[in-house]
This record gives sequence, C-alpha cells and structure tokens, in this order.
Amino acid sequence: MTNITGKTYAMNAITPMKPWKTWILRGFFFLLGHIKPLQADLVNLSFIHFARWVVIRRDSFPRLSAAQPAEDLQYDYLLFFSNFNGTWNQYIDAFSAVLGKGLNLVWFWSEKYPGAVPVTPFKQYIARVQFETDFYYTAYPHATTNDVKAAHRVQQALDTLADGSGNTSPAEFEQAYVRFLVSVQRDLGSTGLAPIGV
Amino acid sequence: MSKLNETDIQGFVLRGYNFPLARYMFLHLADDDRAGQFLDRLLPSITTGEHWDDGKPDSTVNIAFTHKGLRRLRLPAASLLSFPVEFLEGMQARSAVLGDTGRNAPERWESIWREERVNAWLGVNAMSEQALESCCADMLRIMEETGGASVVGWQDAAALKVDGQLTTKEHFGFTDGFGNPDYLGFERSTQPGQGKLMPDGSWAPLATGELLLGYADEGGELPVAPIPHLLANNGTFMVYRKLHQNVAAFRRYLEEKGRQYVGGKEKLAAKLVGRWRDGTPVELSPDSPDPAIVMDKKRNVNFTFGNDNAGTRCPIGAHVRRTNPRDAFGFEGRLTNRRRITRRGLPYGPYAPEGAEVRDDEERGVAFMVLNANLARQFEFVQQQWIEYGNDSHLGNEKDPLLGNRDEGGSFLIQGTEDPKNPPFLCGALPGFVELRGGDYFFIPGMTALKMMSTGTVDPR
Repeated sequence: MTNITGKTYAMNAITPMKPWKTWILRGFFFLLGHIKPLQADLVNLSFIHFARWVVIRRDSFPRLSAAQPAEDLQYDYLLFFSNFNGTWNQYIDAFSAVLGKGLNLVWFWSEKYPGAVPVTPFKQYIARVQFETDFYYTAYPHATTNDVKAAHRVQQALDTLADGSGNTSPAEFEQAYVRFLVSVQRDLGSTGLAPIGV
Repeated sequence: MSKLNETDIQGFVLRGYNFPLARYMFLHLADDDRAGQFLDRLLPSITTGEHWDDGKPDSTVNIAFTHKGLRRLRLPAASLLSFPVEFLEGMQARSAVLGDTGRNAPERWESIWREERVNAWLGVNAMSEQALESCCADMLRIMEETGGASVVGWQDAAALKVDGQLTTKEHFGFTDGFGNPDYLGFERSTQPGQGKLMPDGSWAPLATGELLLGYADEGGELPVAPIPHLLANNGTFMVYRKLHQNVAAFRRYLEEKGRQYVGGKEKLAAKLVGRWRDGTPVELSPDSPDPAIVMDKKRNVNFTFGNDNAGTRCPIGAHVRRTNPRDAFGFEGRLTNRRRITRRGLPYGPYAPEGAEVRDDEERGVAFMVLNANLARQFEFVQQQWIEYGNDSHLGNEKDPLLGNRDEGGSFLIQGTEDPKNPPFLCGALPGFVELRGGDYFFIPGMTALKMMSTGTVDPR
C-alpha cells in the first residue's frame, strides 16, 4: 500500500457534508464545469495530472448483496481524487497559495473544513480525511507529466521534420532543423529518479 | 507593521555587514555549566541589529547553535524536542533529501562536519586584519577563562581583491550578493525586485515571518518554532555550507564551449548564471553587460521572467532563474514567495586572476550561509527542487548548471531563436563546478533567548 509510485503521488480524500449543502455544491460544480476560465488556475498548476471532486449521495453507496447490512447514513460525501508530481507538502502548499478561494468554495460545505489559508490547519484537515491508496500503477516511474507531454511534442515535431526533409537541400534542411530545435527547446529535459519527499 | 525590536535581533540576521573580512569559528561546548558561563560572558560582545549611529564598528560578533549545542547548554527536553525535525536532525542526516550524495556526500566532508563536533558557530566580521585578530583574541580569552568552549575549526573568508580593489565578486568572476529579499519592518530601503511581486507589477516586502520566528509569515500564521516563544522570538535558522569552487574546471569549460557558441565565452558564462560577470541581469540585457543597469538600484534586481517563457533572453535553467524564479511559474509569483532565502557569506581562498595558473585542488570557494524561518519549506525546497531537480521549470531531472551536484555529464540548454546570432545551444558534458565540503544547520537565537540560555532559565511550561 503506497500513495507514491515513481514520481507520482495519488491523493484520496473523503469528507462528509450535511445533505442540504450538497445542492449548493452541485450548483457550484455546474458553474465550474461550464465556465472554463474558472478552471484556469487548477489547469495551470503543471505538476497536477488531474484533480476531480465527486459527490457521493448517502443513498448511493453500494450494497453488494442482501447479506450486507443496510446503512442509514446521515451525510453525503465529497470524494476528492488527484494525481500529481512532487511531494505532499509541495502540493498542498501550492493549493493553499494559489487556489485558496476556489478550494474554499468546494470544501466549505464539508464538515469541519478550516479553510485553505493558513496552510497548517488545512494540512491537518487533509491528513485527517485522506485515505491510503491500495494499488497504484504508473507506466513511467522516472517521468513527470511535464516530461511525458514534452516527449509527445518532441516526437511529433521530429516526425514532421523527417516527413518534410525528403527532398531538401542541405541549406534548407539546416533551416528546417533550426526551426525544429527552437520549437522543442523547452521540451528537452531529462528523466530520472524522484527527489525524496519531506 | 511597526518597527522591529532591533536590539533583540542579532545584527547578522538583519543586515549583511559588508565587511571585507570574516572568521567563522566553530566551537565545541563544554558538557556542563561552563557552556552557559561562556555564553554569559560573551553576551555583551554580541552585535545586535541596533542602528549604528556612530558609524560602523571595527568588528562584529554573532553566535548560532546546532541542536547538539543547545543540548550542551542544558535546554529543557521539552524545548529541545519542540524544534523542527530537520534542525533536530542536522544537515548531515538530511543529505539524501538535499542531494548531498556522491561527490558531495558527508564521507567527503571536512572532519569537523563529518564527525558533527561543531556545537556553535561564532561569526566575526571585521574592517581590518588588526580588528579581526584583536576581536578573535578577545573571544578566545573568554573561552579559555570560562572553559565553556573550545575552537575545533575555523573558516577565514574575505572579499576578493581584484586588481588591488576590494570587490563583491566570487571566484568564478561574477559580482555577487544581489537580490536578498526585503521583509516587513526592516529599516533597509526597499529595492524593486527584492520582495514579492504584486498583481499590479510592483514589489512589496515579504512578511517578517519568512525570516524571523515570532512574526506572521506569508501564509498568515506564525512559523513553526520551539517553545517557549521567548526562546524562539527574533531568532532564525541558518544553514552553513562550505562550497568549494573548481575554478580551473569552470574556466576550461568556458574556453572550450565558448569557442563553439556563437555568442562567445562571456555570453556563455552569462547564460549559465543569468547575470553577466559584472552583475547585469541577462533578462534585462541579453546581448551585452550594461554597467548603467548594475549601478541603478531601481533596475539591478528589478525584472521578471513572465514575458520570457521561452527562455530566449535568460535561459530557463540559468542559475538565478532557478534559485529565484520570481514569476516564471505564473500566478504572479505566488508559487515562489514562500521559498525565498536570505543569503550571507564571503569567499575564501585567494582570487586567481584571469589567465593565471589555477588548480581545482587549491582551497577556494565560498563560505555560504542561508537564513530562513523554515529550513524545510525554504532552503531545503530550493536546494532539492530547484537546484538538484527541474520539474517546476519543465526541465525534468536536470540540475542547476552552476551548483548542481554531478560528476561530469550534466547538460544545460541555452534557449535561442531562429536568428543566427542567438541560436539554441546545448552545453553538454558539464563538470561539477561546485562541491560541498561540510556544514550544518544552526539556530540563531534572539538576545532575550541567549540571556535565558546562558542563565539556564528557559522555561517551556
């Protein structure tokens, strides 16, 4: 059981909400889903692969068979699931520093949520509601999402260069090569081991 | 924010003294009451942050302790255990976190650091040789008379003399010491570019708690600090790192690659560091040094990287861009405001003039110190994520071209344009230019805390 594989961290958190508040959150999610600029800050944190919030209504938890005792839950639940590169502290620090207001709108409806700023109570809260990852797989343990996306761009640019250089003169090729190099020069980092989390 | 209580803060924390000479003495403390007696006798000599109305003194004295040192001063266990874990462990135990492995590994450190015999750092800065020697003699006398401390090693450091002139250069030839952050409540006049970037593009001082314990930090809370608060207030944490510089390797590399790079040797050096050797920021003047910028306090640290995302002016991996990325990661710099460090220190070893014969095994480098409120969030983060790693800059596992810990083989890309005068250029086979020779984490207490420590009256409650 581990939350870390290679350079990737998986975070799962689940928080209880009073059912009447769930509707407010759903309204906010509706707006967030339909107004793209509201998502910009989350998308621009490049070390985050994705982050997803899902409301689980108290009557929609699975009951696998009649033998499983029926539950009478008093709360709806908000599931947060995110994969990111870097350390737990780095992630929550960045969330708190950059996304505080947005996070507050999402989590404000959850019980005992302290707010994203200051960061210490926020970290204590996340640590308390986080549950551990049972199985975790990553195809590229030595790469971050930045690296993988960069590799795709380099591959595509290289293919384009190769396709276009069949009948070029050396001078034309040189020009095309420089253009290629400039187009991928931010994508040439290396892969390797992850730093140790603190 | 009202003015800080400068008389309670050690002077070394509030200001870089800009004295030409320093001796950092490393002390081993007696394991009994004599350690406190030594500190008590030393107290009147310690330089505080109080304003120098009568001009600069001839010399200054400051003191800081490792966790082992605090134990020898008989701090109560409840206080000792309340320090942040990274300070409790010390720098050697953090070597894996910091990337201090391989050629920078503790096994290769000087013995006083490897054996962790240093309990205290006693820093003397001085205007002249005479003032330095006389001040150090006073210190030694206090140590001898009380029997509370002995010197297990020391590091002499001095501003480099180039052509007979005192300079702020370091051994690779770069003018150093730009861009320490401004903090709220500090008397020092604010320079644009030195604090945090505001949404309107102006700069404001950082919260005091990013440097000093006992004040609100940028996150709006008090920094993690030992108990009681009287022990913590007006104190800070210091990192001491003895950084050896391979000047011969650096010059050889510049010569060799400078012949291949269209911009030549000096531009190559500037691209590696992010400043020309005279200090001109490459971001402001990518094609040539400009002394007018260096002299202008409104300009010499006043720049951002937000309009240079491609790195065609200042390369994305350049040393100054890595270690102080400003707005390079977007969000108006908010991802960097809590990773700022204050730097202190001086070079050691004689300056080797350009063209003179120079060897890498000669004793030459910088006695480098970092001050910050939170070692893990500030110094260790910068060292681990921005110097020894590159994902925040989309550079994967690439390291800082100057400080990166490597055996020969690292690479660094100078981003360019399609203009043949400014092409992309790959600096391959980078040797290790800088090596770590030792150091540790220290606590620099405020004056009240020192008094309590010297009299054994720290009360954790």
